[in-house]
Amino acid sequence: MEAVIYICLGLMLIFGILAVMLRSLLKSAIALAGASAMLAIIMYLLGSVWAGIFELSVCAGLITVVFISAISLSNTDKEDLPRLYEDAKRMAALPAVLIICGVILILIVAKTSFMLPAAVPAVEMADTFREIFWNQRQVDIWGQVIVVLTGALTVVALFKERE
Amino acid sequence: MEAYMETVILIVGFLLIVAGCYCLIRTYHLLKVIIGVEVAMKAVTMFVILAGFINGKAPLAQAFVITVIVIEVVVAVVAVGLALNLYRLYGNMDIRNLRKLKG
Amino acid sequence: MQVIEYTTLLVFAVPLVILLINILLPRQLAEKSSIGLAYLAPLVQIVATAAGLVQIAQLKQHEFAISWNLAGAVSVRFAVNVFSLVLLFCIGMVTLAAIMVANRTVPQKRAGFAGLLMMLIVGMNGMVLVTDLFSLYVFLEIVGISSFVLIAMFKSDTGLEGAFKYLVMSVLASIMILTGLAFVFMQTGSLQYDQVGAAGGALVGPGAPHLALMYTAMALMIAGFAIKTGAVPFHSWLPDAHQSANTAVSVLLSGIVIKIAGIYGFIVITNFFGRLPGIDLTLALIGTVSIVVGALFALRQSHFKRIVAYSSVSQMGYILLGLSTGSVLGLLGAVAHVFNHATFKSTLFTNAAAVHEQTGTYDINELGGLEKKMPVTSFSSLAAFMSTAGIPPFAGFWSKLLIIMALWNSGDWVFAAIALIASIFTAAYFLRLQRKVFFGKLLDKFAQLTEIGGSVKWAQIMLTVVTIAAGLLFPFALRYFGGIGIL
Repeated sequence: MEAVIYICLGLMLIFGILAVMLRSLLKSAIALAGASAMLAIIMYLLGSVWAGIFELSVCAGLITVVFISAISLSNTDKEDLPRLYEDAKRMAALPAVLIICGVILILIVAKTSFMLPAAVPAVEMADTFREIFWNQRQVDIWGQVIVVLTGALTVVALFKERE
Repeated sequence: MEAYMETVILIVGFLLIVAGCYCLIRTYHLLKVIIGVEVAMKAVTMFVILAGFINGKAPLAQAFVITVIVIEVVVAVVAVGLALNLYRLYGNMDIRNLRKLKG
Repeated sequence: MQVIEYTTLLVFAVPLVILLINILLPRQLAEKSSIGLAYLAPLVQIVATAAGLVQIAQLKQHEFAISWNLAGAVSVRFAVNVFSLVLLFCIGMVTLAAIMVANRTVPQKRAGFAGLLMMLIVGMNGMVLVTDLFSLYVFLEIVGISSFVLIAMFKSDTGLEGAFKYLVMSVLASIMILTGLAFVFMQTGSLQYDQVGAAGGALVGPGAPHLALMYTAMALMIAGFAIKTGAVPFHSWLPDAHQSANTAVSVLLSGIVIKIAGIYGFIVITNFFGRLPGIDLTLALIGTVSIVVGALFALRQSHFKRIVAYSSVSQMGYILLGLSTGSVLGLLGAVAHVFNHATFKSTLFTNAAAVHEQTGTYDINELGGLEKKMPVTSFSSLAAFMSTAGIPPFAGFWSKLLIIMALWNSGDWVFAAIALIASIFTAAYFLRLQRKVFFGKLLDKFAQLTEIGGSVKWAQIMLTVVTIAAGLLFPFALRYFGGIGIL
């Protein structure tokens, strides 16, 4: 199991870097969807089944659709990104930055022999996910309802054409 | 070494946040900003799931993550709305248009 | 016990009901009546929280937990203490002033404005009332999303720009706060206030990895909330957002949103983790730098709303200084300053709206001598300025005194001295504003000017009365707090 998690982590990192550095905005969106899919697999392997399903359907699905519709509504051409916005030049330093940060972090971890606490085997939960989500976290559910309502009001306020 | 995997997840998560914030700060295109935000949010949800995995409280972590994903979608929609309105105003998606407020 | 429960229920239910009515009404009727309907929410909130404060005085307790049982298990928990009631009162008051200003300055899209305002109110009330760090984050996001859209919805070029800059900074803040929460969750296994508080005591002890995680979490959360508050060095979005938003929205932003979204977050995390060494010093440093930098920038501006926005940055520094002491006196001074800042900042933005409505400009270099033609505006601006600068008997004097006393008591006399000296800067930039806009010779082009009428005038009068009354009645308020056992 650990090997699969490492592979997915590596792929997620690669997809993330691709999403930032690719020249075409459409391919960036698809790379983002790929990263979401890898994250969903990692979540499943770490035991969070419901979160993985949600992540896959919403992030890899819904957000990609929102993005692609934004791209087509704004007529962003494939060639614009590198030419008009100098994107490749701006983002070129990213791999170097990441390698430096990675080396710094690994050095910190090695020097201080920092270790996260090992995973506790799943506590025999008195509550299943259903109970926790719908009963204990009801305030969050009301919060989500209000967030979605606000989103609906936002769409009405922002997306209407001038009358 | 026990807990090796968790530390690796932590490091990869930090790298993703750095990548996302780098994209957010350096780009000139309005929609690329949103991509940077999304990449960073992936890393943050991974941290929450990792915390749940370590604690043994996976269901609680999943409840958190589902709420965070809902919020993330609505924020992305608002950002796209702002970007499209700016596009209607200026004809392109360039951040460098936003220079009117100074001081 | 009953009254407080009704208060909690009403502050959530009334805005949602008003929103529902707003959506269901036919378009023409909604456009005409939505702002009038929106008055109900803050009025109910003010009355309900005042009743709650009275009841707390009678019962001589200052903490209540309210649980609503739905489907068996205890599922929804709210907690109310006297500070939350004061904050809820501030929310009601500032929102009332904002609606009164909006009546004049929002000509179109009134229904949409009222709807988003109701969501903002629900978000802020939720933040103050919940007992769980994650729910705090959820309602923080609600407040954030409503604010972005309120700034942007009138689609002016500066409005969209200010909203976009605010969105980018706010998303950075959310990422940092959420990462901090994830690390806290790793340590404590739960994000509810009672469990985090209990675990907080046990944390100062275990070995190095835990402490490193805690410090990272604290650093991230402090940075995140500092962005939301507009404290230096994360203040860059604040003047742009305030300047470009419709003035009714500026009243809301500066009057209450930066305080509930930012300062209340600081109150919560210093409550749990303030004992970690270094946290107090960090807050005090951020506070001091904000005071000085905000004041210095305010001296250089020539746009009315921008001066007031930088003044907000400066005043947030005072509140952070009060929180950094970690004592009850400091907390009391900070909350009192939140209340006073809500009044005088709302007054100043209302004055800006009045001046703009009548003269058509915000540039102070083009104005002059308005006091002869706009006496109400001029007097309320003067009262607000004296309260900000901390001149007795206005209310600002008392809250600044409490903060400086708290700093002195904890031995941070350097910070106390800086806070005192910075008051001179505060007086300086406001004196410049007053002199350029209201005093001096009346320019010829303003010969036909009249005073602002209608709801904006009443808003100014109401806020000025509150400032003066709060200043005169403050000793009684202190006795009230003593009576319920806080002081």
